[in-house]
Amino acid sequence: MFLTRSEYDRGVNTFSPEGRLFQVEYAIEAIKLGSTAIGIQTNEGVVLAVEKRVTSPLIEPSSIEKIMEVDTHIGCAMSGLIADSRTMIDRARVEAQNHWFTYNERMSVESITQAVSNLALQFGDDDADPGAMSRPFGVALLFAGIDPKGPQLFHMDPSGTFIQYDAKAIGSGSEGAQQALQDTYHKSMTLKEACKESLVILKQVMEEKLNATNVEMATVTPQRMFKMFSKEEIEGIIKDI
Amino acid sequence: MAATCVEFATGGFSFENCRRNAILEEKGLKPPKVYKTGTTIVGIVFSDGIILGADTRATEDTIVADKNCSKIHYLAPNIYCCGAGTAADTEKTTQIISSQLELHRLNTDRTVRVCTANRLLKQMLFRYQGHIGAALVLGGVDSTGPHLYSIWPHGSTDVLPYVTMGSGSLAAMSVFESRYTPGISREDGMKLVRDAIAAGIFNDLGSGSNIDLCVITKDKVDYLRPYDEANKKGVRQGKYAYKKGTSCVLTETVRKVEFVVESTQVKVEAMDTV
Amino acid sequence: MSLQMEQHEYGTPMQRYWSPYAMNGGTGLAVSGADFAIVASDSRLSEGFSIHSRDAPKTYQLTDTTVLSCAGFHGDILALTKYLEARLQMYEHEHNKKMSTSAIAAMLSTILYYKRFFPYYVYNIIGGIDDEGKGCIYSFDPVGSYERETYRAGGSAGSILQPLLDNQIGFKNQQGVVKTPLTLQKAVQLVKDVFISAAERDIYTGDSLVIRIITKDGVKTETFPLRRD
Repeated sequence: MFLTRSEYDRGVNTFSPEGRLFQVEYAIEAIKLGSTAIGIQTNEGVVLAVEKRVTSPLIEPSSIEKIMEVDTHIGCAMSGLIADSRTMIDRARVEAQNHWFTYNERMSVESITQAVSNLALQFGDDDADPGAMSRPFGVALLFAGIDPKGPQLFHMDPSGTFIQYDAKAIGSGSEGAQQALQDTYHKSMTLKEACKESLVILKQVMEEKLNATNVEMATVTPQRMFKMFSKEEIEGIIKDI
Repeated sequence: MAATCVEFATGGFSFENCRRNAILEEKGLKPPKVYKTGTTIVGIVFSDGIILGADTRATEDTIVADKNCSKIHYLAPNIYCCGAGTAADTEKTTQIISSQLELHRLNTDRTVRVCTANRLLKQMLFRYQGHIGAALVLGGVDSTGPHLYSIWPHGSTDVLPYVTMGSGSLAAMSVFESRYTPGISREDGMKLVRDAIAAGIFNDLGSGSNIDLCVITKDKVDYLRPYDEANKKGVRQGKYAYKKGTSCVLTETVRKVEFVVESTQVKVEAMDTV
Repeated sequence: MSLQMEQHEYGTPMQRYWSPYAMNGGTGLAVSGADFAIVASDSRLSEGFSIHSRDAPKTYQLTDTTVLSCAGFHGDILALTKYLEARLQMYEHEHNKKMSTSAIAAMLSTILYYKRFFPYYVYNIIGGIDDEGKGCIYSFDPVGSYERETYRAGGSAGSILQPLLDNQIGFKNQQGVVKTPLTLQKAVQLVKDVFISAAERDIYTGDSLVIRIITKDGVKTETFPLRRD
């Protein structure tokens, strides 16, 4: 991929003469090895859908968790080195609780993403916060939630960059999935349509056959806030495909 | 808002620390002296006599207890005395001395002299070792002319042409120091005393409301109360009278008074005469 | 003052007292209505029997729709308001929005409680407009206990004004009274009258009154003279 590989891809603190930080770029590459995750924002709420790679029949599928609750009004889907995401989710949860404690209000999705991005950027710092590492995190996150601005979806990559999206796909199938999202997404999409569409796209990009045990799904709505879908609920959607 | 969980103080006196305090005092402890006179009182000697002045605020801690109290006390027809400090002490002390001066006048058949009043007051205050919290400005005119004294709670006295006392004494003295001249006229003197009291009223929180004056000359006393209202009270815009029936009646009992009719006729009886 | 305690072979142990607080007086008051809030305070700053300033109002505008009234130790008031302004700016930068009145109240409570064992000697009342556009009042004790109310008096004359407000705004102890909602005009008039009365009896209240009227359109300020004795 990078034919100009050189001494500059060792340290995280050194730019190459072309102005690149290779370790960060490699970390972003690591995401493309991860399972596919999709987020779609609608007027009614946000849906997150993730592929679970059950590589052996001896794996207990429910022990693979790729969508997590950050606060009652915010969820997070991830792709890449899932272990790395634990510290980021921990930070997100602490920030959300701290905000609620101090201001007696729910933290906005953007602010949560910003707070986690601050942690993601601290790699290589000599005096970084607890939780920061000597290398970039190898995981990308999709933050979905409800705040005063309405349903919100944010994507954050290992460089700490975060961007708001109407719909976003990350992971190994992200290129195809993102193209599919661009073709099918429209502003007046209902949440139900979005849930179905996310599974349709996952089905297209997954290597294995999609079923209720190898995908995870969650929605965040103003009415029910963060809600993980049960196996039965996912089966219900799959039936409609 | 803070929940109360401390022990409540029970009423009455507590003597539990008396022995401890005596021992501490023996070991050299100086008990704290807290003494505040929320007042401005002044006096000056002018060409024809004495002018005394006082404010009219009485305070209880930070609350104004009386907005128009009288602090210039009568001692004798030719002698008056301003009082600062504990209200009860100044009032009772001047009354006691006033009665003694009246007895003295009856016994001697002479107009009492101001130095006599001064001596009686200082002896009484000294006897009580400062426990009578009265700081006084004594002034009067007698056969030997006008005299002005300041008397401290422990019994020491000063003879001066202009004096101030109370918590507003510094504010008032600043006015005297800049403008007093020996042989000042009655008119200028009254204005000076007014301004001295006003300085206390406006710059000392223990003093306030109106200005009382007492001008004592050889054959006349002008007791001016109030001489001036230093502050006009604010005018309220709302009406705060309640409609009839606003106060709620908690219980109402009607009881019939039982009586027996003995006679319905009015008997006219003759008056007892001797 | 120092107390001499027991004799000791290497010198005399002395118990020393340190008093880092002063009471600088002042009265604050806040009243709320359907679409407005009023925060008022006198402008006298004093200590003991002396007046430090006749022109030191104790109201602090925090945002376009929030005003704070502080009474107590002036040094702590300066420190607290300065810190609040810094936190307000930080919040605005971090979250890209102005702080709501309720969020400021919650934040002030945590700021006060963080100094639970060396408190700010300050009595705070916040007045403003809530998220629904209604007037709102929050009152605090010095260590962070707080609650939302419709009216509150605090500071040196707080304890003599509160029962008056209970009667006139809360219609307490009035039988058969028509409980009419408070208008802005009536509220401003009541605030002035109530301060005239406080200045009559409280030696730490006087000189002038500053009234901050908060509506959705912003804050208007009115001043009114009080007794100066």
